[in-house]
Amino acid sequence: MAGIRDLGVGIGWRSEIDLTVERLPGVDFVEVVAENLHIGHLPESVTLLLERGVPVLPHAVSLSLGSADQVDLRRVEHLGAVAEAVGAPMVSDHVCFVRAGGLDSGHLMPVPRTRDALDVLVANVRLAQRNLPVPLALENVAALLEWPDGELSEGQFLAELVERTDCWLLVDVANLYANARNIGTDPQRFLDEIPLERLAYVHVAGGEQHGDIYHDTHAHAVLPEVLEVLDELCSRVAPPGVLLERDDNYPSDTEIAGELAAIRAVVDKHRD
Amino acid sequence: MTEIVNESSLSSARERLAARQAELLNALLANGPAPTGFDEQRLGVERRALLSKRRGIVRMLGPEVADELGDRFRLLFDAYAAEYPRRAGSRAREDAAAFEEWCRACGELSEKRKARWKFWQSN
Amino acid sequence: MATSTTARGTRLPPEQIGYLVAGPGRAAETALARLLDADLVRVSRDGLVSAVHQTELGASTAVETVILVNLRNTIRFDAVVRNAAKSAEMRTLHQQLRARRLTRNPRPRLAAWWVFLAIGGVLSLAAFLEPWTLFGAVGFLGVAYWTYGAKPLTRAGRAALKDVTASDRVLAVALEGFRGRIGNQSAGELFGLPQSVVKMLPRKKKRKARATSAAGCGSGCGSSSCGGSSCSSGSSSSCSGGGSSCGGGGGGGD
Repeated sequence: MAGIRDLGVGIGWRSEIDLTVERLPGVDFVEVVAENLHIGHLPESVTLLLERGVPVLPHAVSLSLGSADQVDLRRVEHLGAVAEAVGAPMVSDHVCFVRAGGLDSGHLMPVPRTRDALDVLVANVRLAQRNLPVPLALENVAALLEWPDGELSEGQFLAELVERTDCWLLVDVANLYANARNIGTDPQRFLDEIPLERLAYVHVAGGEQHGDIYHDTHAHAVLPEVLEVLDELCSRVAPPGVLLERDDNYPSDTEIAGELAAIRAVVDKHRD
Repeated sequence: MTEIVNESSLSSARERLAARQAELLNALLANGPAPTGFDEQRLGVERRALLSKRRGIVRMLGPEVADELGDRFRLLFDAYAAEYPRRAGSRAREDAAAFEEWCRACGELSEKRKARWKFWQSN
Repeated sequence: MATSTTARGTRLPPEQIGYLVAGPGRAAETALARLLDADLVRVSRDGLVSAVHQTELGASTAVETVILVNLRNTIRFDAVVRNAAKSAEMRTLHQQLRARRLTRNPRPRLAAWWVFLAIGGVLSLAAFLEPWTLFGAVGFLGVAYWTYGAKPLTRAGRAALKDVTASDRVLAVALEGFRGRIGNQSAGELFGLPQSVVKMLPRKKKRKARATSAAGCGSGCGSSSCGGSSCSSGSSSSCSGGGSSCGGGGGGGD
């Protein structure tokens, strides 16, 4: 498969800020949460963006590809159907598990970085890929706790996942920053270890420091430190796209435009 | 690098992983015992983060219930959440509805809200 | 910020202009327009309004404050206007306008008011011959004055609106409502609101639309439909549109 086309700078489309997303200058692409869309009833705003030629990428949060159980094919099918409905060039989910032992955590939980977990993840990803109409990109998550007895670094774990499944990577620099703060991941080493030629695009998001823990809230401003991680990434590779995620406590249009401009400034700095 | 993972070794890997993941979620969501090897303090941080996220979603889906409960909302929700961890496959709206029912059964909500909630659910 | 000058030289904010033009519903629309203009609230395509910050910081009037406080949860666009129009803060605003003699209690005009005037006139003339008929003349002329009716705006109120034009989008809402038209687009479109959202607000029926503009305005915003308020017959810019400016008050009534 050839490289990913240039996406530019984008923002996560959410119904609460649909008009904002439509009128913001410099939104080159958007991402929609696949679970929130119903086939046959696309939101008017999404249809309008598609008519304008803005690429719409489905982003899933519930495949739970890192679960010990086999992946739920109905969820994969829905993701694929959303991709076809919006004519997306690719879809994405996370390297995480959401469900286990009959419970639902309601959040993206990190998987243990063991051979066992990697084998299961690879099997689940391959099954999902066989049932998807477009390539799949997988995103690193933010962890508040570290599994014991990890056998691989996060970068090694993702590198091997890409090698064995041929998936793409969606690198969330805010999650990388969170892991650096919370569980001691080394961002430099992470970026050295992952295959950057398989980078689909990048996520940037805001968060908040609470005591010694950084919370990846998607409800606060993007920290300058997160933009520094983006800067580090851009110094190694020109990312095909960078997307701002905001899920709650939406700021004014002006503030969102400011965050997009700050992201674009970092990306452009390395393109000149 | 071997590309073919033996089927039987994969299924035993699934079993081992299932046990570990279930143990962790049970500790985080259902007050189960802490799995060995984890930082106890971080388990607490994660438990509170998950609870806070779930509480925020239920508040967003049922603002009238949260408003009526006022200051009691947080304590009541936390008690409910520990007793009823979210089941795999359940929906957030079901969680919000179940919490409201639970509050009503405890006598924490007035009866007149019921009709309105049912009307909202039917949409 | 848009202001107007009353006869006494005081500045009238857009929300009060909205009240004088079409009552509490319009004042509520104007307050919401001001908040939108200041980037303090946002509206989504499905018509849900949310506060940009979870504080009332930035509100410039009591009505704006009550709107922001209620927006801790998202609320439908039309409900925001309706709730603000019915709020205690809006009643206070009405009292302030009355205290400043910009508005008063309106009285409907009786169709036969002129009969009393005529009888009063005849009796006045008769008083030259029979002075005791003067009492009757005064009585009939009084009744004629009463049944002639009173518009909700006082002379000072009309003067305050005299030179107000839709010079910015907040004033455009004050004068025409979100549903009203400014040139070839609706005032709502000046805020980037889709028609589906703007149309959540009720459009008032153009009762007596064929009648004179003064009567049309008076009845369009009678005491019941606009909560005891007002529409200026003197303000040509707001009323010449044939009642549309009186309509779209949005939420004064149910």
